[in-house]
Amino acid sequence: MTTQHTSTDRTDNTDREPMTDGGTDDAARTDGGPPATIPPDDETPTWSERKERSQGLSRLTYEYFERARREDQDLRQESTYVERDVLGFPAWPHETIRNLAITSFFVGIIILISATIPMYFENPANPSSTPSIILPDWYLYWSFGLLKLNPINPELSVLGGNLVVSHEFYGVLAHGLIIGVVALVPFLNKGNARRPVEQPFWSAVGVMGVLLSITLAALAIQNFFPFELELLFSMSFILPVLGGAITYAVLKTMREGYMYDLNKRYYRLRPPK
Amino acid sequence: MSLEKKDEFDHDAWLKRKDLTAVETVFLTTLIWIDKRLRIVDYLELLETLYYRINLQMPKSHTEQYDLDNKFWYWYPLYSLGSLSVIAYLVAAVSGALLGFYYSPSTAGAAATGDPTAAWLSIEMIIKDLQFGFMLRSIHRWAAQFMMAAVFLHMLRVYFTGAYKEPREGNWILGVILILLTLLFGYSGYVLPWKQLSFWAAQIGVEMALATPIVGEWAAQLMFGGFTLGQATLVRMYILHVFLLPFVVTALIALHIGIVWVQGIAEPH
Repeated sequence: MTTQHTSTDRTDNTDREPMTDGGTDDAARTDGGPPATIPPDDETPTWSERKERSQGLSRLTYEYFERARREDQDLRQESTYVERDVLGFPAWPHETIRNLAITSFFVGIIILISATIPMYFENPANPSSTPSIILPDWYLYWSFGLLKLNPINPELSVLGGNLVVSHEFYGVLAHGLIIGVVALVPFLNKGNARRPVEQPFWSAVGVMGVLLSITLAALAIQNFFPFELELLFSMSFILPVLGGAITYAVLKTMREGYMYDLNKRYYRLRPPK
Repeated sequence: MSLEKKDEFDHDAWLKRKDLTAVETVFLTTLIWIDKRLRIVDYLELLETLYYRINLQMPKSHTEQYDLDNKFWYWYPLYSLGSLSVIAYLVAAVSGALLGFYYSPSTAGAAATGDPTAAWLSIEMIIKDLQFGFMLRSIHRWAAQFMMAAVFLHMLRVYFTGAYKEPREGNWILGVILILLTLLFGYSGYVLPWKQLSFWAAQIGVEMALATPIVGEWAAQLMFGGFTLGQATLVRMYILHVFLLPFVVTALIALHIGIVWVQGIAEPH
């Protein structure tokens, strides 16, 4: 609880020293200067205060908690890291009321739309007549599209020309492939870049994925398109690659252009790795 | 060593020493009586800790700290997509529980193929006869659509802001599992009314399972209750939709949000 004084002292000493680029720390900082408006909360009773009369194992537990807290505090006092107090946004009432407002608005939208656009209900199931158009809900169109990739599935056949791997199984495999790649993203794309401009390649991959899911959905509802299936099929794979390339070019240009200048002050504080 | 009570635990003597008012005496006596039996002090302390936690000030957010508000406010809606999907999930849960009072998962009642079954008739009853039933089903369906959309957009937001990086890989994978379970939720719900498209969507599911070597037939029997669709399929989808998935998905959502709470929100720089 006494780190407050040491941290302010340290800030005062270092603030005026010129940095290597000629400016001062004061000029470069973007966090609004030393705030220190809200002191650390001393009202919370310590565990020892609350548990002074406890016995046995619980006593030992809380004695250990106290030791651990003291150890933390000592380490904090010894370190050169400058602690800054933060200006808070209280959980109650500010945050709570904001969340309630957002929640009511969203639920209201759901109710409004369900009242104005009611859902269509169709005929009972008839196993003996296959409908001309079979479709899942819209969110599974991409998955349904994966089952219609027959022309690009390699045709492995042995002995009598029977397919070793059926088209349906290629569809199932494609699902596994896509889900596996998506799950592995954090292990493929490392580093601490956050903005799309900082990582043009991975943003392009993302745009490609989004466009591919859309074109796969279009492939699933191919009956609704007035042009040839072959054209639709080619476009399903050309469009995502095209979109990815455009994204990459645009982001590269933005990175070289104005965005980098806008953020120069930020990058001076935290150089990109 | 004596077996007599030590002074510090002699609450009666302590009460006498305190010189309390009547109200205080009654309160303390009651409190001590209950506490001796149920040990409520421990629980009171938990509540007390919660009180202090809730009244803590939240730390300055990244945007506040670096004064990015003027440039970044228009990204904020993208950061509420996760909570929007939870809200839609809750709306679907409440309306779904109400629909469950009137729905019957049964293919009985069809004399010839193509006749309405009990499941289809119960949905028709909800739509035509039940007070507020049309609205109830509509809310359930639309809440599901909203949840799906919010979940997909949430995933895109996390991807494009690199929020899945270093300490958060595990939560990304948990999110991928959750999105798959959400799709399964939607699929099983789509089958339940046993209308024409429900039946044929289930048929495609069976065909996909049967196309898979080794585990395919086993999976078809586990998920669809056999290789041809019927009563067993409907009941399995029903149990999946109203019993298994609600528990699993709710628990995983809680874990997902808990991990976000522990690790903090990854804000863009």
